[in-house]
Amino acid sequence: MPTLTIDGRTVSVPEGKTILEAAEAAGVRVPHFCWHRALGALGACRLCAVTVLDGPQKGVRMACLTPVQEGMRVSTLDESSWNMRRSVIEWLMANHPHDCPVCDEGGECQLQDMTVAGNHAVRRQRGRKRTFHNQDLGPFIEHEMNRCIACYRCVRTYRDYCGGDDFGVLGSRDRVYFGRFRPGRLLSPFSGNLVDVCPTGTLTDKTSRFRARPWDLEEASSVCPHCALGCAVIPGGRYRELLRVRADPRPQPNDGFLCDRGRFGYGYANRADRPRQARLEGRPGTLAEAVAALRERVEGIARQHGPEAVLLLGSARATVEANALLSLWARRLGAADPVFDLAARRDGAARIFARAAPALRATLADVRQADLTLVCGADPLAEGPLLALALRQAARRGAAVRVIDPRPVPLVCEAERLPLAPTLVPEALRFLAGGNGAGLSQEVLQPLAETKRLFDAARRPVVIGSAEGLGPDGVRALLALVAGASRPDRDAKAALLLPGPSSFACARLASAVPNAQDLRRRLGGGKIRAVVALEVDPLAEAPPAVTGVIEKAELFAALDYLPTATVGRANLFLPSAGPYEQDGAFCDFAGRLRAFARVLRPGTPILHTGKGNHPPRTFSPDVPGGDAAPAWEILAEILGISGGLSGARAEIEKAFSFLQGLAGLRADARDERVLPGGEPPAPPGAPAGPEPAGLRLLLSDPFVGWEPLSAHAAVLEVLRPEDAVYLNPAELARLGLAPGARARVEAQELSEIRVARAADLPPGLAWVVRRRGSALSRLPAGEVFACRVAREEGA
Amino acid sequence: MKLWRSIRGTLDAFWITLRTLFRRPATIAWPEKRRAPAERFRARIVLTRDPQGKERCVACYLCSAACPVSCISMQSAEAPDGRRYAAWFRINFARCIFCGLCAEACPTRAIQMTPDYEMCRRDPLSLLYEKEDLLIDGPGKDPHYDFYRHAGIGVAAPRGTLPGERPPEDPGSLLP
Repeated sequence: MPTLTIDGRTVSVPEGKTILEAAEAAGVRVPHFCWHRALGALGACRLCAVTVLDGPQKGVRMACLTPVQEGMRVSTLDESSWNMRRSVIEWLMANHPHDCPVCDEGGECQLQDMTVAGNHAVRRQRGRKRTFHNQDLGPFIEHEMNRCIACYRCVRTYRDYCGGDDFGVLGSRDRVYFGRFRPGRLLSPFSGNLVDVCPTGTLTDKTSRFRARPWDLEEASSVCPHCALGCAVIPGGRYRELLRVRADPRPQPNDGFLCDRGRFGYGYANRADRPRQARLEGRPGTLAEAVAALRERVEGIARQHGPEAVLLLGSARATVEANALLSLWARRLGAADPVFDLAARRDGAARIFARAAPALRATLADVRQADLTLVCGADPLAEGPLLALALRQAARRGAAVRVIDPRPVPLVCEAERLPLAPTLVPEALRFLAGGNGAGLSQEVLQPLAETKRLFDAARRPVVIGSAEGLGPDGVRALLALVAGASRPDRDAKAALLLPGPSSFACARLASAVPNAQDLRRRLGGGKIRAVVALEVDPLAEAPPAVTGVIEKAELFAALDYLPTATVGRANLFLPSAGPYEQDGAFCDFAGRLRAFARVLRPGTPILHTGKGNHPPRTFSPDVPGGDAAPAWEILAEILGISGGLSGARAEIEKAFSFLQGLAGLRADARDERVLPGGEPPAPPGAPAGPEPAGLRLLLSDPFVGWEPLSAHAAVLEVLRPEDAVYLNPAELARLGLAPGARARVEAQELSEIRVARAADLPPGLAWVVRRRGSALSRLPAGEVFACRVAREEGA
Repeated sequence: MKLWRSIRGTLDAFWITLRTLFRRPATIAWPEKRRAPAERFRARIVLTRDPQGKERCVACYLCSAACPVSCISMQSAEAPDGRRYAAWFRINFARCIFCGLCAEACPTRAIQMTPDYEMCRRDPLSLLYEKEDLLIDGPGKDPHYDFYRHAGIGVAAPRGTLPGERPPEDPGSLLP
């Protein structure tokens, strides 16, 4: 550990660190543009010049490139390096346009800060300024090349960190150009990170272009609600409108990066058709009325027809508090546990994983540090995009990435794939754990044996699955594999992708026994008379057998902030606050509770109340559309719990011992609390039914189009995949379908027309990507159905 | 001594009153008579236009940031021609203290102070000036200044055609 002195402060840092990193540790700020914590040093901007007064190489050195040495004495205030930094600013400003007032970066621009810090006010250079043409980079990123200072952060982010290949650097000398070969949409699902890393206004957020200055934004530490990974975000809003989402620059958990779904999918909160008013039997009312009606009617039905007449539906996207209070309500009514996931097989898988030992559950950091990653029956880019980015970081460090999946799973790193039918994936996991591989063919066993050799040799392997792809059987095999491989010198971990930000906590709140049969019995008995849907859209996500029961119920109550089909049909509607409009907590896929703070109060944006013009010239203490309340607040009111969030949390801690510590979580400090493991549920007695013969339907999620929040964000429409059915080319020929032909896909008496496409799939599979509103998408996730694909004539 | 001081203090005041009685008053009989304020008098705020007659304000929020009493609010937006403009712009003159910091902060010379100080109203709502109340037809002070001709991002004229700009580079060229 070399010890050195920087501006009179002595600091010891590990061998191999640079002066810049040592200065950060000592609390001395060295100005820089091209250096970035996650991207490393490059030495392109020359701004981090410092003077080494004592050491092997004296004089002005680049702090980001010079490794520290014992006894070094460094000054950032020495005249020679100060002059150097000042001239760097002056030459960067020689070509920079004079347009700060119309630049969206203004107010959070590093170049602006450094120009002021460098005392640069007057341009002494008399030459003309260099100009470029801009490119249209699609609906997310605005390009203004004249502002570029050539720090190369964008290229390093896009190509090296995120694995994109359609953005790069062109040209030579002082006309290097950062853009695409041809103008067009940036294709990487992580393109939004360019906005965060660009230190100037060259690449800015197009979705919030010219909307607000950063100093006017209301911001708070929050947790991304778009998947189960729990990325740290800082959303910003103004005038009751959510305007942007940026990544928290802190390294944990997401290393300061976000996917485009999490960054640009915020539009659901500002929709003009967002339901903001309570509704009782079609009549508008106040929230207080609706809350009283909900309590009275549910309690009345429970009294009159018994608690089994009440069906409570929990949600993966509601807060942990709201789901816990819903469980508490069910308990008080004497009713069965809320149904947190209508897809019984996925739910069963999540419940097993939620009770695994905490040491076995991998976080994003574990994935980034892994030396071998196996992706089994999961599509990280769709189900948890940042996990795909973490996989890439592991691959960049030299980890092998193996994929065992029927689908050609897209990743942003090199991976070797073993196509395997979905039902065989658990068997493959058992083989890796030392099983005999019964049921696996010889051509599968050979590459699997190779993977097993790699797995046995790896010191920090991470096996990634998804609740939907693996099912209960697969999750048991997954956990057995990593539990068997963990030894004192080896750290094998498992990650399971879950459908939403509260899924883990929901799976833990639900009883350990998978209740698929129980749910079927409850729905089939004809007893259900009251249904309460907490921020969930069963009418779009459940098969007709379930939705029929729900629609026939005497009371169909919905709490939500999205204009879903369920909200449209419910006869009692209560507007709830969106995830960025309340304080609460989510629980990530590794079982870590994280609190988030409110960014905005709910209310109709001034953009809508003023119809684009100035706000109405009236005085009123009421906020238009401000009746919505957090779901936990509504449920606390129903349960008679006072004391706001802390009161509700105290009550939750009392009722659910595994949620201990919830009350102490602070959002701004990014506290986290690991949920303890539990007694794993017993395997089901009866084996699964026989596998359907013939063509089987495989459903999976897209990057955008199914996840409920981003599916309601208009700007992400362009990322919605084509409505296609993918088949093996041989299968396609057998069915007499040409690629691009229209095909009718039929399963479980649901059918829809999709475009037939060839894909590298095992035979006997028809792969369909879900879309909100499509008929087939209502089939329960993770189950295998027989299906028919036929050519659709005409039209 | 004390008594003498008190008597003198009383008489002094009467003497000053008596003396001033025959002088011309310092006040004027407003509104029958009006005084022309100094040219740089800071009163009612206006939004000016550039020499082409287009709105100078680019809604950069610097005036609202500089305002010590937070009486300026606005919403920026993008026009089809790429100009940034204020979709709405509101100054609450009931709150304004006429300090002039907004005019000083304005980078485009859009917001300017005029000597018109006669703007008292009984109804506070009528002191809420919207953009159409603030916008004047002329450029005010600095009549030739046009921000977009100096901004260097190709809004007022095609990129690289204004004085002080080189023609756009061709990044595909590898010539020295």
